[in-house]
Amino acid sequence: MAAAAAQHLSGHDAIAARYRDVDPVYGETRDIRLLGFVFFLLSDCILFSSFIFAYVYLRISAPAWPPFLGGHQLPWFDTSFAAMNSIVLFGSGVTMHFALENWKHLNKAKFNGWLIATIVLGIGFLLGQAHEYSVVGISWTGTTMGASFFTLTGMHGFHVFAGVCYLTILGLQANRGTYTGSKYFGLTAGTLYWHFVDVIWVFLFFLFYIW
Amino acid sequence: MNEAVIERGIALVGAILVGVTAIVQLRNDWAAHGLDAGLTKVLLGLMALGCVLALLAAVNVLGVRT
Repeated sequence: MAAAAAQHLSGHDAIAARYRDVDPVYGETRDIRLLGFVFFLLSDCILFSSFIFAYVYLRISAPAWPPFLGGHQLPWFDTSFAAMNSIVLFGSGVTMHFALENWKHLNKAKFNGWLIATIVLGIGFLLGQAHEYSVVGISWTGTTMGASFFTLTGMHGFHVFAGVCYLTILGLQANRGTYTGSKYFGLTAGTLYWHFVDVIWVFLFFLFYIW
Repeated sequence: MNEAVIERGIALVGAILVGVTAIVQLRNDWAAHGLDAGLTKVLLGLMALGCVLALLAAVNVLGVRT
């Protein structure tokens, strides 16, 4: 009934009408799953916060930064390359947002295009990170700078990798008919996760390359 | 041309494009309600902030090491 009404609506009104056009059990389950997913993101937030606070503490309590190793001061991280790689990741956040919006507007072809763009940009960011690891000039062991850098960016990189796998599975599910114009919680969760991963990088970019 | 200059140029153009798009999307979604919409707005806003940081780093305002 609401779906029929939605045909006469446009834009956000039609999306809202379709969103409500689900059976009550699914509607309630969707709200509970969303809350659960938000708690998952909060727990991940706490995980990153713990390591970030450890890094901040180590850095402000160090006599010199970058620290010395073998009588030589370690180099700063490459801000130019990191800024470019950051934009690749932030760009993927925008493409993922477009993908979800197109799904909501029932445009499956554009959804697929934007989702593939997101996955490609995510892989591009990971390759950029791998390149940086190969030229950064410090190691995981030996200094708090290296340990903090590889732990935090490695943990973030793992999240990006997991996100790429997650989005690939979501894309396959979407094309197999798992989601509809009114039931697409998985895609909403995937988009929130990807935005979350982007935002974590905002903090890491500031801490390692700007501060 | 210096490699860093090319990287900063790409970062600058990308930051403007992505940042403006994020802000436009944020404005489009401003009226949306619900937990997911609220969270998306916060995350899009922070992502736009990230674009500003990348832009300032690209033009050597931030991240200058002496």
